[in-house]
Amino acid sequence: MNIGEIADKTYEYLKTKDGLKGDFTISETETNEITMKDGKFTLFRTLFDQDVSVRVIKDNKEGSASINKCTEDAVKKAVDDAIVSAQAGDADECFDIAPGMDPEKFKMGVLEPDIDKLMERTEELARDIAEKHKKIKLIEMFAKYVKSHSVFMNTGGTRDESDCGYYEIYAEFAGSDGDETTGINGTVVIMDNLDEKFIDLGSIEKDLADTENSLKPMKVTDKFEGDVIFTPQCSVQMLSFLLGNTVVDPAIIAGTSVWKDKVGEEVVSPLLTISSKPWDKRIIAHEVHTQDGFRSEDYTLIEKGVLNCLATSLYTSNKCKVNRAANSSLTFVVDEGDTPYEDMIKSMKRGLIVGAVSCGHPGPNGEISGVAKNSFYVEDGEIKGAVIETMISTNLFDMFKNVKAVSKELLCNGSMVLPSIQCGGVTISGTEG
Amino acid sequence: MLEDILTKQKSFFDTGMKTVLRGQESRFRRVIIQNGNLVVNARSEESGICARAYLNGAYGFASTAEYSEEAARKTIEAATKNARYLDKFNADKKNAYPEIAGSMITSPRMIIDFEQKRLVDLCKEIDAYIAKKYPDLLSRTVVYREDTMEKIIVTSDAADGHVAYPRCTVYVILNMASAEGQPVEVMDSFGGFGHIEDNYSELNGVYEKIDELYKKLHDKAEGVYASAGVKTVILHPNVAGMIAHEAVGHTVEADLVQGGSVAGPNLGKKVASDLVGIVDFAHTAFGDKAPLPVYIDDEGVPAEDAVLVEGGVLKGYMHDRESAALYGVKPQGNARGYAFSDEPLIRMRNTCVLPGKDKLEDMIASVDDGYYLLQTGNGQADLTGEFMFGITMGYEIKNGKLGKAILDTTVSGVAFDMLNTVDMVSDTVTWNTSGTCGKKQAMPVSMGGPAIKCKITIGGR
Repeated sequence: MNIGEIADKTYEYLKTKDGLKGDFTISETETNEITMKDGKFTLFRTLFDQDVSVRVIKDNKEGSASINKCTEDAVKKAVDDAIVSAQAGDADECFDIAPGMDPEKFKMGVLEPDIDKLMERTEELARDIAEKHKKIKLIEMFAKYVKSHSVFMNTGGTRDESDCGYYEIYAEFAGSDGDETTGINGTVVIMDNLDEKFIDLGSIEKDLADTENSLKPMKVTDKFEGDVIFTPQCSVQMLSFLLGNTVVDPAIIAGTSVWKDKVGEEVVSPLLTISSKPWDKRIIAHEVHTQDGFRSEDYTLIEKGVLNCLATSLYTSNKCKVNRAANSSLTFVVDEGDTPYEDMIKSMKRGLIVGAVSCGHPGPNGEISGVAKNSFYVEDGEIKGAVIETMISTNLFDMFKNVKAVSKELLCNGSMVLPSIQCGGVTISGTEG
Repeated sequence: MLEDILTKQKSFFDTGMKTVLRGQESRFRRVIIQNGNLVVNARSEESGICARAYLNGAYGFASTAEYSEEAARKTIEAATKNARYLDKFNADKKNAYPEIAGSMITSPRMIIDFEQKRLVDLCKEIDAYIAKKYPDLLSRTVVYREDTMEKIIVTSDAADGHVAYPRCTVYVILNMASAEGQPVEVMDSFGGFGHIEDNYSELNGVYEKIDELYKKLHDKAEGVYASAGVKTVILHPNVAGMIAHEAVGHTVEADLVQGGSVAGPNLGKKVASDLVGIVDFAHTAFGDKAPLPVYIDDEGVPAEDAVLVEGGVLKGYMHDRESAALYGVKPQGNARGYAFSDEPLIRMRNTCVLPGKDKLEDMIASVDDGYYLLQTGNGQADLTGEFMFGITMGYEIKNGKLGKAILDTTVSGVAFDMLNTVDMVSDTVTWNTSGTCGKKQAMPVSMGGPAIKCKITIGGR
């Protein structure tokens, strides 16, 4: 029995339960993954997985269950487990599912893989790194192809059938020159074809060059307030921290979000426009319906600094009387600015270019301090060198109000689209600071 | 309990390869109550079979979500085929690593499952205690998390095993507004190895810890920013355990040593003060069951303790079978995979700084101007040994006495440099039993240690 038929049987089984509404996803996934260590293939994995996830609401009580089997019996067990979980819960009128939508079929990415070509491209990347970046020690690379087929249905009549396939390359490396070594850096790209050399994709080439340039780092020896340019990878880290404390379900339900009542107000610099756009053509694999079962749509969360809406689910929308977000994936697409990246550097009196921040998850007050990783010291508009043992401290809310520039250049790596963001007023301290 | 349908499949192993067949069932239970609202109420289960075949220095691996004899045979066949496919690309063929004596190893207990209602009721009971006793909170969250796994391991040339790792944890997160109206947060976790009745049959101990947590939250709401710079600090065992895991443990995992970690050129050398010893315990520590007892790893290696640092000298690394052969040492059972579809990686188990002879109160009294750092949210380290930990609870120390609480901050340093500054070590070990390591795959671990006095870089305003 294929998963479409299993899904139809599951729907019929759900319908036999009186007074129940719910939704479920049944999926099959095949993954082929090749591992390369130190320039040699060391592992080839083929993984066949299945998943059934069921959510039910009965008497205003919600429960969910999942199991990685697609047999008729296993699916019925998952439904029954979800019902038992719901019975153990509390009634809450805010639990709900989306109304039924017209049945749809979706095809995304590449559905017929070329594993031999994936091997060739991976070997080619290892060769390119060895030739062009002689001071890079390639620790590990993972090249994979993932294909999934899934059916989502709800008791309102929705039936979404999706086929999705994509390639992914992830490289982990360090700078190495004799006894000198840098910290680990990593770079990832998701793609739907193998037409281009891997080294030309995403920020792979730049990340390798930055890591090579991080050998023989310098120490910042004082404490000062300066500018920080966050690379696109670090911008997404900072924005995730910011939004994780302000616009998503836990922060809204807990009441700890300082933005809960600020929809329509300016919350960050007018230079920032932040959207969640799963349907953007630069995003390779994406959701087609929300976790609640609504058709996913692109939306802009913050437009020119003004908070347009919250990124909340149907439950939180009902519970806290706020909007429901048009998608649940928070797929970052941040608009480009009008400042060339090089001009951002030239404009800096004193500060850092930061590739990652090693830190704890900031609390709801937005205070953050962490170690600047893969980072470079800038003085009078010039990059002076890579840094170690250098910390940055700031408040996320204040920092994103103090954005000085957003780069013209964007990083598109298949899962996000982001510029570099330059912020002022960040405390930077070295070991003697 | 998993039925052993795998042992009889050994006849399908390719005689020219070293093969491991693993059957696994993992169970996850989640309940989250936030401000009295049951927002997560979920159960999930996954099971399946994986096979790994080693040929001339490369591995073929395959997994399937089915758990049957036929699925086992197909999985062995697919892994064998993948090993052969990779061998075509392999110009630098290696000899096989040494055999290990065959035996059958089992863990003393298996998994007991409980109805969801018991889990929900537990969280409701704890939430009701907090709501009634502390009505001035901005928010409260109670989380029940259970991640248990059971494995059957069948090998061509090592030990076989049938083991289980039951573990459950309750997390309590409390928020309060500071004097400036900003939300401040504290979190603690309770539980560990075993099931719900092992850990929560009576709740007085949990309530006492919640009372302590509330007091810390109150202190933190009146807290001050730490002053940035290099400071003398007392690290609570929770933080010292994180040092053992993040700052030292990862740098001495042999795969990361091969990747160029700072531990590579330092084996046998002095890397820390004489007072520092670090061990990755297998299943027994200080005469008691370790918080996450591992009896056999996923390559069929019987688990033994791995001594990492002794008297300040770097003594050894943690290995899988292949790296142990490369370094000419005996593997000690550090290779584990998280999901049934995960290949085993070199992982820590119960990593601990060994206790010293000092009393905590004497250690605090010895600090004129510094900090007592009690709680860490997370930590990271890299190949250079540069590490950072988020500090979510701590106090100033002024003239040998505890002062004001500090707001969230981060500490950082270079592991071996920092360990060389250790000049006092307390006599009592405390374990953190709910750790999850994130090296490629999630993995349950525990970490522990005494309080240690050292110098460290602290972030702040």
